[in-house]
Amino acid sequence: MTSIQVHGLTKRFGDVVAVDDLSFGVEEGSVTGFLGPNGAGKTTTLRMLLGLVTPTRGSATIGGTPYDQLTDPVRHVGAVLESSNFHPGRRAADHLRVLCVAAGLAVSRVEEVLDQVGLADAGGRRVKGFSLGMRQRLGLAAALLGEPEVLILDEPANGLDPEGVQWLRRFLRSYADAGRTVLVSSHLLAEVAQSADDVVIVARGRLVTQSSLADLADRATPGVWVRTPHAERLRAVLAAHDIGAELQSADALVALGATTEAVGLAAAGAGVAIYEMTARRFDLEEFFLDLTTTTGGSR
Amino acid sequence: MRNAVRAEVLKLRTTRMFYGNALAALAFVPISVTFAIQTAGTDGAGAALDTGEGVRNVLSAASSGTLLVLLIGIMMMAGEFRHNTATSTFLASPDRRRVVGAKLIASSIVGVALAFAASALTLAIAVPWLASKDVAVDLLSADVGLVILGAVAATALYALVGVGVGSLIRNQTAAVAGALVWALVVEGIVVGFLPEVGRWLPGGAVAALTSSITPEGGLLPMWGAALLFATYGLAFAAAGTRFVVRRDVA
Repeated sequence: MTSIQVHGLTKRFGDVVAVDDLSFGVEEGSVTGFLGPNGAGKTTTLRMLLGLVTPTRGSATIGGTPYDQLTDPVRHVGAVLESSNFHPGRRAADHLRVLCVAAGLAVSRVEEVLDQVGLADAGGRRVKGFSLGMRQRLGLAAALLGEPEVLILDEPANGLDPEGVQWLRRFLRSYADAGRTVLVSSHLLAEVAQSADDVVIVARGRLVTQSSLADLADRATPGVWVRTPHAERLRAVLAAHDIGAELQSADALVALGATTEAVGLAAAGAGVAIYEMTARRFDLEEFFLDLTTTTGGSR
Repeated sequence: MRNAVRAEVLKLRTTRMFYGNALAALAFVPISVTFAIQTAGTDGAGAALDTGEGVRNVLSAASSGTLLVLLIGIMMMAGEFRHNTATSTFLASPDRRRVVGAKLIASSIVGVALAFAASALTLAIAVPWLASKDVAVDLLSADVGLVILGAVAATALYALVGVGVGSLIRNQTAAVAGALVWALVVEGIVVGFLPEVGRWLPGGAVAALTSSITPEGGLLPMWGAALLFATYGLAFAAAGTRFVVRRDVA
């Protein structure tokens, strides 16, 4: 079942189109990585999804309902947006108590969530003494207060040390494995590659691709890029050698999962001239960069 | 709505800013009482102590909390934007009208409480002091009642103005500085030198309401001032609410 649905979402700030006709869906019980370079419109999208920013056009719903029309939103959706969401002079536990009171939750949840994020001993401290990582954890604690079935996080790994990032990954994974939904944004694919099921990739406010991480990895398989005047013929030749190939244009193709040696020998055997040949490494991150920059460049 | 108001009160109680402002308001009381008693009957400072007006001048220290409640109101709203807590506030209660409404109610509760505290402190200092100067103050007299009523109304309504200003001016420092300059400098000059204009300003209404100054030419009668200042309070509150509801929280 679809949990989060974004449809034709557009946000214009003056002359700048921050989000441009964006549509995607997030499945229940999955971790979905919301990826794109800085300035791609991720934060604006999430803020529109949470009713903080009014869309110029389009809609964003959670379980079919816009956030600001949910009854008891805190019990349905938890969000971690940025690390400076706290009054510096307020104690961490007091920050959570205020949210509990506002949302009508039992104040006993404060101790529970502090414990859950590993801040059990820091509840009585004022937030101004917190490290960035502790603030991120406190933000997550606030999001967990209502035991929501949907968790939305904007760049949660910022400021976390490697151990904290590991912890967060495991946490989000187990949260989704319990049948709940996690949407987590990042500008680094690697950050979500280990824990995400699906990815939604945006650049310059537009959707680049939405797919499962597995499919994305398939598309980023190693191969050999070849420039030849006989691309179509070469593909047939490679097929005869059990090498799959994708035509990129009339004079270029990519031989999937092959080495330069195998492609070169096959081409020589069939007498196909090759002008240029490059091995493409397996690198999801590079593929991601490619995807986001080519989409950016086409506008 | 009850939860939202309780949350706003709890927000205030969990920062030092609030206690600092409340204490500062109360610290003004003895200063103001002392000043009024020492200067009573002298040139330009108004009526002698043994007149009703003189007693009202002394007791007007009960409204010492007005300016600080204005600041508290400003910080309740502008502070949400300054510290980015507006995000978590609006996530917990997406109905922003309700959030601003809760702030208006919570701030006026604080205003009323502070006005009563300042009134009690004023009476505790002024009554014995006046008695030592052979001026008896009847606690049940209309003079005392009106001064305290005026202080409560002015302080509570100033809180509404504060929340409204804090909603309209997102930058807390600018909002606080602007409000102080307006209330202390601009209105002080206009009410003092152009009373026919000044009595229609918020500050002129408050002055009439709290009988703190009585320039030549006269202010509005107390009921008129109360009505006028209530209109200001509600206008600021309504404009602020409208602005906050429409604004993107980025």
